[in-house]
This record gives sequence, structure tokens and C-alpha cells, in this order.
Amino acid sequence: MAAGPYNYSYIFKYIIIGDMGVGKSCLLHQFTEKKFMADCPHTIGVEFGTRIIEVSGQKIKLQIWDTAGQERFRAVTRSYYRGAAGALMVYDITRRSTYNHLSSWLTDARNLTNPNTVIFLIGNKSDLEAQRDVTYEEAKQFADENGKSIFRLSGENVEDAFLDTAKKIYQNIQDGSLDLNAAESGVQHKPATPRGPISTDQAPQKEGCSC
Amino acid sequence: MFQRFELMYNEQVMRGDPSEKAQFEYAWCLVRSKYVEDMKHGVALLEDLFKKASDDDSRRDYLYYLAVGYTRIKEYPDALKYAKALLKIEPGNVQGIQLKNYINDKMKKEGILGMAIVGGAALAIGGLVGLGVALSKK
Repeated sequence: MAAGPYNYSYIFKYIIIGDMGVGKSCLLHQFTEKKFMADCPHTIGVEFGTRIIEVSGQKIKLQIWDTAGQERFRAVTRSYYRGAAGALMVYDITRRSTYNHLSSWLTDARNLTNPNTVIFLIGNKSDLEAQRDVTYEEAKQFADENGKSIFRLSGENVEDAFLDTAKKIYQNIQDGSLDLNAAESGVQHKPATPRGPISTDQAPQKEGCSC
Repeated sequence: MFQRFELMYNEQVMRGDPSEKAQFEYAWCLVRSKYVEDMKHGVALLEDLFKKASDDDSRRDYLYYLAVGYTRIKEYPDALKYAKALLKIEPGNVQGIQLKNYINDKMKKEGILGMAIVGGAALAIGGLVGLGVALSKK
């Protein structure tokens, strides 16, 4: 919330999507607060978190919108997809239904984000190997067919999922495939010399109306 | 998007009973509007939804948006009441706690605490009807 000089050079917008109860909010809290929450209540609409990371020596601020998985909020959460640079699409490896729904999540993400949005597939709860309901190979094939990267995720490598997505976005910026001037790239480049506090953080509770 | 939800809701009202989903989506759009009249309309729709809510999960969601709505129209005592009611259902809810802190902050900053309590007595009649109904069911 500091209005002082920027201590990061880019802002990337992320969304986390997927069925209810796959652990999206737990991922967010673990990443932004380094707190493991065994049991997160269902998200109401959307939740917001940020963290500054470093990729190739560049400080990047991740603005993460964690969406509710409940059908009730679908219209609400869809309005947050626009302008996302990264999307973490999460399923629960112990519940096949959450995997089966991935194609509809992917369709939503494709329709509502831009072609450069980096989508990572995340198989959460990989620590519950005994209850596994979806094999890694199967999910890998789904990811390959759809040109996505896949992640085996458990408590330990939450960081990597967020970092690898950022690396991929940064790479897209470097090789010019992601145009920073495009209206909905999901990336903001911060000038080295701050211009004052006008365009710093927006309060997460009071997001602008995109209706 | 606003118009789409408005249209959907109005069509359903014309036909009879609007669905909970249509009413919620329209109410949510209204609460996010930049016009106070819209926000108030949204809050009224949410209060109606809350009264009709059949389970704790949806009750919790409506309480949250009611608190957001009242925060936006700067009626903080009511906002706080709804945030607290939400936390009564789910004490550990991070979003609820953050919202409550935000409202408390706003109240302090805008220094209207004293005034609002006086004004709150009148507002409470409208604002508390829904809450009273819910609590008496418990």
C-alpha cells in the first residue's frame, strides 16, 4: 500500500480458477503469507493478494485474484478474467470431477483472456497419493494437447507454480510476443523514476466496476 | 455487463418470480456501480435475498455483500453489523475479518462514529429487519 517509490519494475495480474474445494485459496494464502491453511472457507466472490517476486533480477509484483469456485459466483468471477497475464487452473487429483471440468474452465479462460495469457495447469493435493483419482500421465496429456504446462502440486512447491508462470510471462515480454502496450496484456511496466502516488495500488475491496 | 444482468433480472420479474441467481448478479452489479442510488437499490435486493436465503452458505455470501454495499454508501455502522453477523457464522473467515477491519478503519478516518450512531437509530429500522429475521431463526 506504500505510495512511495516503486520497488518493483513490473506488475503481473494473475487469476486462480477451478472447481470449488480444490484448494485455490489455500494456494493463495500459502504463497502470499507463507501460511498453510488446512481448511479455507469457501471464497466469497473473489479474494485478492499480492507478493513481490524476482525473475532474472527484475522485481515483479504479482496481483493475484483468487476466484470462488461456486457456480453461484460464476458471473462475478468471470469479470475478473480480463487482462490477466497468468492463469492458474487448479484441479484436485483426488477428485476426478474437478479434473473433468477443466475443459470448461479452459474454454472460459480462453474466451475471456487474451491469446498471450500464460495458463498453468495445477494438480493440487499431490501429497494425498493414496487417494489419487487422476493419473499424472493423463493430466500431462491433457496439458500437452492444449499447449499448457502442468504442475504436480503439494504443500512444498507452491512457490514454483507462481514463479514459473511469472518466468514464462517475463520470457514472453523479452522475446516480444507479449506486447506491453496492448490494452489487456495484464502486465504493467513501472518506470524507474516514480511519478508520485497517483497510480499506485488500488484498494482491493473497491475494484473498479467492469460491468 | 450491467445491462445484461439488469435485462435478465427485469425479464424474470416481469414473468413472475426472479431466480436467486439473476437477482444476486444484478444486485452485485448495482453495488459496484458508481452511483449511490444504484448501490442502495443493490443493497435492498441483497436484503431481500438474505431474507429468503435457505442455507448458511448463501446467507454468509449475502451478508458479505451487504457489508460491502453499506460500506460503499458509507453507512458504516450497518456495514459493521453485517460484517459481524458474517463472522458469527464463520468466525475465521479471512475476507470477513479484512472487511471488518476496513470498515473500522474507514469509521476512524472519517470520524463519523458519533454522528453515525445517532443516524444509525433511524437506519437500523430498515437495516436490521433482515438481520433480526435471520437471528430469530437460529
